[in-house]
Amino acid sequence: MLLQQLINGLTLGAVYTLIALSFSLVMGILGVLNLAIAELFMLGGYCGLTLIIMGHSVWLAVPAAMAVSGVLAVVVERVAYRPLRDAPMIMPLLSTLAFSIIFQNVAVNVWGSDPLQLPDALADARLSLGTASIGIMQLAVIVVTVLLVVALGVIVQSTKLGRGLRAVAENREVARILGAPASRLTTAAFALSGSLAGAAGVLIGFHYAAITPYVGVDTGLKAIAVMVVGGSTRIWGVLIAGPLIGVAEVLSVVYGGSAIRDMVVYGLMILVLLLRPQGVLGGSSMPEGERV
Amino acid sequence: MRIPNEGGLEMKRRLSYWAAAISATALMAGTTSSWAASDVQSAAAPPEIEIGAIVPSSGPFAEWGKANTITLKMLEDKVNAVGGVNGAKLHIVIYDDGARPAQAANLVRKLADDDKVLAIAGPLTSSAAEVAFPVANQAKLVATSQASSKPGVAANNRPWAFRNTVDEGVLAKSTVPYFKKAFGIRSVAIVYDAKDAVSTAIANRVMPAIVKDNGINIVNGASPISFNTGDIDVSAQVTALKGLNPDGVVIGADYSQAVTVIREMKRQGFVKPVIGGTPLISSAILKAAPDLPIVAPATYYPGVEGEGAANFTKDLTPLLRKGSGLPAGIEPSMYDANIYEIVSMYVDAVRKGGVALQAPKLASDRERIMSYMTGLKGFRGLSGPISFNKDGDAIKAFFVVLGKDGKWTEQVRGCSGPDGKGC
Amino acid sequence: MSTYAAGLSADIGIALLGGLSVYVILATGQLSLGNAAFMAVGAYLASALTVYAGLPLTAALMLAGLASGFLGVLVGFPALRLRGIYLAMATLGFGEMTRSFFLDFAPAGGAGGFRGMGPVSTAYIWAWSASLLVGVVLLERSRLWLEFRAVNDDERAADLIGLNTTAIKVGAFGLGAAIAGVAGGLFAYHQLYIEPGMFGFDRSIEMVLYVVLGGSTVAVGPLLGATLLVLLPEFLRFLADWRLAAFGALLILVLLFRRQGIIDRGMFRGLSRRKWATP
Repeated sequence: MLLQQLINGLTLGAVYTLIALSFSLVMGILGVLNLAIAELFMLGGYCGLTLIIMGHSVWLAVPAAMAVSGVLAVVVERVAYRPLRDAPMIMPLLSTLAFSIIFQNVAVNVWGSDPLQLPDALADARLSLGTASIGIMQLAVIVVTVLLVVALGVIVQSTKLGRGLRAVAENREVARILGAPASRLTTAAFALSGSLAGAAGVLIGFHYAAITPYVGVDTGLKAIAVMVVGGSTRIWGVLIAGPLIGVAEVLSVVYGGSAIRDMVVYGLMILVLLLRPQGVLGGSSMPEGERV
Repeated sequence: MRIPNEGGLEMKRRLSYWAAAISATALMAGTTSSWAASDVQSAAAPPEIEIGAIVPSSGPFAEWGKANTITLKMLEDKVNAVGGVNGAKLHIVIYDDGARPAQAANLVRKLADDDKVLAIAGPLTSSAAEVAFPVANQAKLVATSQASSKPGVAANNRPWAFRNTVDEGVLAKSTVPYFKKAFGIRSVAIVYDAKDAVSTAIANRVMPAIVKDNGINIVNGASPISFNTGDIDVSAQVTALKGLNPDGVVIGADYSQAVTVIREMKRQGFVKPVIGGTPLISSAILKAAPDLPIVAPATYYPGVEGEGAANFTKDLTPLLRKGSGLPAGIEPSMYDANIYEIVSMYVDAVRKGGVALQAPKLASDRERIMSYMTGLKGFRGLSGPISFNKDGDAIKAFFVVLGKDGKWTEQVRGCSGPDGKGC
Repeated sequence: MSTYAAGLSADIGIALLGGLSVYVILATGQLSLGNAAFMAVGAYLASALTVYAGLPLTAALMLAGLASGFLGVLVGFPALRLRGIYLAMATLGFGEMTRSFFLDFAPAGGAGGFRGMGPVSTAYIWAWSASLLVGVVLLERSRLWLEFRAVNDDERAADLIGLNTTAIKVGAFGLGAAIAGVAGGLFAYHQLYIEPGMFGFDRSIEMVLYVVLGGSTVAVGPLLGATLLVLLPEFLRFLADWRLAAFGALLILVLLFRRQGIIDRGMFRGLSRRKWATP
């Protein structure tokens, strides 16, 4: 049963990884906590599920959900972030939160507050692994997460866009002086982050075959914890932190109950912030947080 | 916080005035429209029967609130189509509390003072009722919840608080024996939503006692498995349940969370019968895993027989399906039936006489409604007679229903009165 | 005054205290997204002290304030290590942990909530709110406040000129937490029933919004912010299903066009004889 729980934890961790990566892209590059990501994730899930229910294929649903969330992320960037770029960090925090209130309201009015369910789970078959088993969808979630992370890795490490993003992350002004189109790169960071959130939403929608307008908030807060544990200024930390928190969560449920679970997750986050603010994987430098 | 540059550009300052102007206009539009509404009311000369309703049309239970609203409009039209009651038209003032307790409490005050209603139907959730009922008690105004089933919520706020629902403890006494017999259950495991008060009460207090009384073994009695409202992943909980290998599963959760659990049970190939309280009843849960049997109590379900209930279902269903923001295949819920009955009771109280419907007599009119409710005997509800016990909870017929293959079917008919009598 | 107006006004009084609790912490440059936790501690403690131990409410509120303040100091020390968004996230985690603690804390009812409190008048609530507001306004005119602002504007410089920045930052946390604790106790007595869900992330965010919308540079800012945010959902009722979206949109508009909040110090410069030391 422990093996089965580890598989459960890894799947959950994969989901957290994607959303945390989405938070961390914007946080790492621009130093902004975009709270609307939680809702972009939820909307991505709704778009994907709606398309499947309308009879479209997965191959349309996933990119469509990513595109919708990506575009909405750009809207958030233009309206809620760009005008407040120089404001204290609390401003974009609250303006992106305002967007999440709007998105949630829209979802309730369009899809209702009841869970939207797939008539049949997409792929119910399970592969046996001795005493444990893994669902096809579970496997798909993990595989797609790894693929998306690799794709993102390639973008960030080896493309012009990626170099620009890294330059902006180091120092926005210097990057601009050196000729990087900082404002276009900012838009790109939001768009990438949004489509990752959309992908996470649609994967979760398929995996759990049900979604509600309220999945964003709690999952989003957990993903923030994952981002912190992974080191908020270094994108790759979440690859370790996601599965770590996923497994920790699953084990604390088994051995302690759901109340202990949140204590463990957020306790871990606070510990990391206090003892290793650069994250479990981060280098030796401590990030100088922006002044409030 | 760094203090922003206070000078700023002239342009920005001008924009800020625009923003202020826009918000001010928005506020004014809000107030004027409500003034306009009250003008219309006062222009109507004959007395009106003013009833208040508090429903959660936004927030996590928006669907229920919206359906409740349509139900109440239907009732209003129905009463007024035959000329109202004793010449007075029915007017239901419906407010949305978003399932937020503080808003529900303020809305009770608003309905009591500004709208001068005779009585209130609502609020829906137990958390909102906990906060709103004391206010109704202070205001000396009857408030009857259409859904709250957390033990003792009305009992703490007598004599003005009522619930047209049955205590979960009473219901479980009928569901558990059926569950045991129908599925040959000898052991159960408990899983519940630890963030939700009703679910926690069902899973930690109500069910364990009754399950044990029926000679069923609780395999995880000392450590029930829990999750939280809003969790999307309950795979760890279900794997743990599966490892305990019980004959059946007790779920303490409302249907939208239970959907997640049942889907996961199906996915892990753990298809065992499930039992729970009234919060499980909904058409959404039937879609989660049609081959997994769900046993729950209900005071109404869309297929219930009997003239009153059948007509109610027939009339309301098309209206709900036309309603905005509601799913195409929606059916009336137990809470639609309950709120329909609540307002029907208030109307019946007016019909029986003794209610003056004049502003100076408002306090005594409200008192009259309270004594009507307290002394209610054999009110003709949708599926049988209704009265209230000393705790303010309904004594009415209920059904143990089995959800399978996409529909609810009645298995046992019970009565929530003492010793099963009074229905 | 109708009881409806009285109820809303009591809500405003409590919200104002919530806003002030964020305000004094923010004055030293620290953003707390976990003040609902201090409110929860105050609410549960004040209720338990009156319901179980039979203490008079005023005494219980003072004790609840002190206990929350003490907890605030405890949180304030580790908070020294963190800045900006990192501090905000850590306090968010602290808030969630506290909520989960009460969810599982059987003596206080756990998820089932806690009741047994008796009603209090709006005047009583406002007596507390007004005195604490006056207290904060007086604090703003003191030398200590200049030190708060100095820490906010440049902590290293403040350190160099000999200010005890540790004491100032931790003290501000304690003071803010104490105010939140009193707010919690009053909240419990206004609502007559409390459950952990009432003190979650959204409550902490609301408390920050009172300050940011109303104005984060003067103590009357939170007063205006609390008033607007309590009344706005009522005024937006005519929008029915869309009122939350409208609320979000208005929030964005104010943030975009009034960064410093609706009220700022500049507005007071003409009115007040006192010369403000504007940084």
